[in-house]
Amino acid sequence: MLVPLLQMRGIVKHFGGVHALRGVDLTVGAGEVHALLGENGAGKSTLMNVLSGVVRPDEGAIEIDGEPVAFATPADAQAAGVAMIHQELDLVPQATVTENLFLGREPRTRFRTLDRAAMRRHARELLDDIGIELSPSRTLSSLRVGEQQMVAIAKALSLEARILVMDEPTSALSDSEVERLFAILPRLRRRGVGVVFISHRMDEIAVVADRGTVMRDGRNAGTFVVAETAPAEVIRMMVGQPIEQLFPDREPPRDAVRLAVRGLTVAEHPGGGRTEPRDVDLEVRAGEVVGLAGLLGAGRTELLDALFGLAGHRLSGTVELDGAPVRLASPRDAIAAGIGYVPEDRRVSGLVMMESVAANIVLSALPTLARAGWRRASRERSAVAASIRDLHIKTASAESAVGTLSGGNQQKVVFARHLLREPRLLLLDDPTRGVDIGAKSEIYRLLARLAAGGMAVLVASSELPELLGICDRIAVLRGGRVVTVLDGRSATQEAILAAASLEQHTTVEGASTAARREASGRQG
Amino acid sequence: MSRSTRTLAALCGSALLFTAACGTESDVPESAGGDATPEEGAECAGADGEYLIGMSQANVAEPYRQQMDDDIEAAAAEVDQFEVVFADAAQDNAKQVADVENFLTQGIDLLIISPNEAAPLTAVVERAYNEGIPVIVLDRKIESDAYTQFIGADNTEIGRAAGEYVATELLPDGGTVAELKGLPGSTPAQERADGFREGIAANPGIEIVAEGVGDWLREKGQSQFEAILQANQDIDVVYAHNDPMAEGAYLAAQAAGRETEMRFIGIDALPIPSGGIKAVEEGRLSATFVYPTGGKEAIATAQQILVECADVEKEQILDTELITQENAAEVYARNATQ
Amino acid sequence: MSVDTTEPTAEAATKRRRFVIPERFFTLQSYVALIMVFLAAIVFSPRRGGEIVFLNSENLLNIVRAVSEIGILAIGMTFVILIAGIDLSVGAILGLAATGTASLLMVHDFGVAMTILIILTIGLAFGATQGYLSARLGIQAFIVTLAGLQVARGLARIWSGGQGIALAYGDGADVAPRAFSLLNSRTFNGTVPIPALIFAGVGVIALIVVRKTVFARHVYAIGGNERAARLSGIPVTRVKVTVFAISGLLAALAGIIHAGQLNQGSPNDGMGYELDAIAAVVIGGTSLMGGVGTVSGTLAGALLLGILNNILALNNIDSNVQLLIKGVIIVAAAGIQAFRSQQK
Repeated sequence: MLVPLLQMRGIVKHFGGVHALRGVDLTVGAGEVHALLGENGAGKSTLMNVLSGVVRPDEGAIEIDGEPVAFATPADAQAAGVAMIHQELDLVPQATVTENLFLGREPRTRFRTLDRAAMRRHARELLDDIGIELSPSRTLSSLRVGEQQMVAIAKALSLEARILVMDEPTSALSDSEVERLFAILPRLRRRGVGVVFISHRMDEIAVVADRGTVMRDGRNAGTFVVAETAPAEVIRMMVGQPIEQLFPDREPPRDAVRLAVRGLTVAEHPGGGRTEPRDVDLEVRAGEVVGLAGLLGAGRTELLDALFGLAGHRLSGTVELDGAPVRLASPRDAIAAGIGYVPEDRRVSGLVMMESVAANIVLSALPTLARAGWRRASRERSAVAASIRDLHIKTASAESAVGTLSGGNQQKVVFARHLLREPRLLLLDDPTRGVDIGAKSEIYRLLARLAAGGMAVLVASSELPELLGICDRIAVLRGGRVVTVLDGRSATQEAILAAASLEQHTTVEGASTAARREASGRQG
Repeated sequence: MSRSTRTLAALCGSALLFTAACGTESDVPESAGGDATPEEGAECAGADGEYLIGMSQANVAEPYRQQMDDDIEAAAAEVDQFEVVFADAAQDNAKQVADVENFLTQGIDLLIISPNEAAPLTAVVERAYNEGIPVIVLDRKIESDAYTQFIGADNTEIGRAAGEYVATELLPDGGTVAELKGLPGSTPAQERADGFREGIAANPGIEIVAEGVGDWLREKGQSQFEAILQANQDIDVVYAHNDPMAEGAYLAAQAAGRETEMRFIGIDALPIPSGGIKAVEEGRLSATFVYPTGGKEAIATAQQILVECADVEKEQILDTELITQENAAEVYARNATQ
Repeated sequence: MSVDTTEPTAEAATKRRRFVIPERFFTLQSYVALIMVFLAAIVFSPRRGGEIVFLNSENLLNIVRAVSEIGILAIGMTFVILIAGIDLSVGAILGLAATGTASLLMVHDFGVAMTILIILTIGLAFGATQGYLSARLGIQAFIVTLAGLQVARGLARIWSGGQGIALAYGDGADVAPRAFSLLNSRTFNGTVPIPALIFAGVGVIALIVVRKTVFARHVYAIGGNERAARLSGIPVTRVKVTVFAISGLLAALAGIIHAGQLNQGSPNDGMGYELDAIAAVVIGGTSLMGGVGTVSGTLAGALLLGILNNILALNNIDSNVQLLIKGVIIVAAAGIQAFRSQQK
């Protein structure tokens, strides 16, 4: 590797007060597949946005083939040979593969009409070139996601792309599709294309990547050669050192079992696309905080949804609260049984944005505050005032539109709504996502206080330090099943990650893994 | 203050200007004869007065009713003392009630109304009449005799005239007839059908072999007659309850290449480019029968009441007129208002 | 916009950004417009002997009477649109109710109270059925009520054999009880039309419901964020069914009034009324996206339309031009709402 294909040096980017990138280096050689790893929020996406011209860095330099470049727009980056294969593909679903490949630069005949013959010919050549077996006349929407991805790759290559960024390309693919995707990577190598491969899955990285760069907190945590590095080492690089003081002291849980789940299974929704709980057994005691860990798509949200009645009649198995079985056919049932739920995306599932803080806080409690359906304004007012005071919700007034609040305070409004119903069990899905560190710490303290008061808390999170910091026990999910339950004090991030992902490597056997090995074998 | 306030102001402003531009022109004139009480005729101001006449139309979307308004406007232009204001109920009884109420608020001196339906308009017409305002009812009656004069044509009579024309002129030796009817349940459709049968009764050789329902509409007449053509090999005359349906039938026959096999007659004979008179003149229809709008007659009656201070008959039934190629151009010139 | 309505926002907002309109303006939009149209009507009213014809008390009452049916429909429509739905069937239900009322009174010799009870029940059931189909089976409200429109018209035609049924009053069989003719009369010394009074009554009840009931809060929450509402334990299906039932009930009430005012019930009655009702709601500042709007705005919107119709008619503006002016006003109202959401 004389001159690297791509060299990014000392990239710094601030968003307001947030330091997204604090001097990141990334070097990718021609014909190299380079893995980029890091936890959510480590800065991977920002770095790639800098590379593709979406975001302009505050400091740092980018060189391609040793030539310094500066991208003001995505079009600049594209012209310099950088192509991003997005999760949501930039293709027209109703058009054919051929039409998509030549979108906006269709070949013309002498008479300025569309040269369909030339289009078909070139499309065939393009696809053959990188070994994609697809009829170019099929409409894009009739293709599977993986096939669409390959069309996007073919299109990128036809645009003379030298650097291809693939952002979690396998997350939505089936095993056989993954296999086909990996099969074309050697061809890209031979053409001297550099691939930046973003993934969480150690098994995939082991198969396809040559080297890898790990990011943490907007910095380089290390660069490694895949063949020479143990996965555990890579995980340690990703996790770094946990911050202790963020988390409050906890009181020990009580003995009484508050929530007992046995054999909980949810039938697949006709729409599909979710990892529904399968044969879940779980207990949460009064005053206990239990965490739900697992990779994206492991079924954390689906389990909480099911416990809140959102699975309706697709749910089977038994759920008991304080020893009494409860019916969970709807959120109403769940609320009536004493369950509260702070959902994952407060904008989509939590708040009525155009309404006031007060209206959002009392939403669940309205019937209990009213008399025979007639609202009692004074009771509502005092309930709202008490919530705002207790949870330190920072708002200009109770009548302010909830959309004007900061993320953390919005989250506290959703908390307040459910706490007004005085639940026995509180379900939380990624409660600190998108909130700043101060609000995070407040939310942790609130959970500790609620648990100390005897409430049972079940919290799903994608942030492992958070789970380790606040949970008494942590249940690790994979494929909708609870694979293990770890003790909160003795568990480590490595152990959780291993349970959530690494074992998959050994459990998934058969043709597809063999094919991946073969694909990786061809690279040498 | 800001952009959208200005936008709003501008919008309202332009709305106001609009109103103003139209409003100043049509300010209600000082009407000396505002309190005319026709029953006694005592305070009739005669030729010295100025009179505001309100014309409440059921639905100007129908060409016949637009023609009625045009006839009234044209006739009133000839009378110096008259100003006519028009309202259109767009086929809505409730709107027509409000229209008449507004006329009363405006202080009209005489009301001409062509009611959308009888029962719903009866009360408000009675109210106007009892306030001493002369009322001329056009085309459709109301359900009481609280009006000054009814002007209308006799549909049964027109149907009979059409039947006789078929029996004596078109098919003296007998033949087959296809009939395209108006909207079922409407009185004119019933009467035009009944009258026609009376008219052809004199000639036993005539047989009605097919009946279709065209709902008064050209397109419905066309599609209905397409079906009739399929089912009947032998049709001599097509009798449609109005001209648009007759024209629709002609189009269907033309598409089948059979338009020369048969002859088409309609009713209404509106003096407009898309009307039946032109269709006769241009040879598509063999004949049509004038269904008079009564607009001209209504203004004449109004003149008798207000200007001449005379008593008028309670009913004025208008005659129809046969339109054939011989007289089409002449009648068109005579009846057309613009 | 990032300022709440309880603060002295105008000042703060203009300091920060020049082209920011206080949220309060938008919430008051329909009243501002109503007042402007009212003042314009005074200015451009024809005068007779020094008297402003528009302000004539009889004329003003005529306006309220003339908008009473549309106004009652619009109140029901407000709730439907607040949950981000639409009800295209109200005009047809009005026709069905008017036909049914005339038929029950004239043909079946029912008493007034019994007739009203039956017709209101029919409207309620019709609306509830539509609500159930829309909420439970997930068919779009637009489609369900479009179908409902056809069904209601069809039922009305079947019921009456396609003919209008005229009402005649008297004692005995084959005539309607005299009590029903009250709907076509005026109270308070023959000044205030009964339909206007009923409209006012329904308006007051709706205002109280919006202010004081849990149900109304649920309506707003469902329109604002249905998923959040469901997760907050709101009985979404039940609320939606209730909303459509209210709309059907009010449409039936308007139909009874219609029959009473016009002494007739005809299956073609109320054609296109749904569009006028929607117009009143939109002018009143209710968002078709749901969650935002007020009943008082709708009342203002309905009155605005009524005044507009009246003043245009008093000035003898051509009826076709009237349509244009109404169109412009609806677009203006919607445009202001669009500006409001962009500003946010």
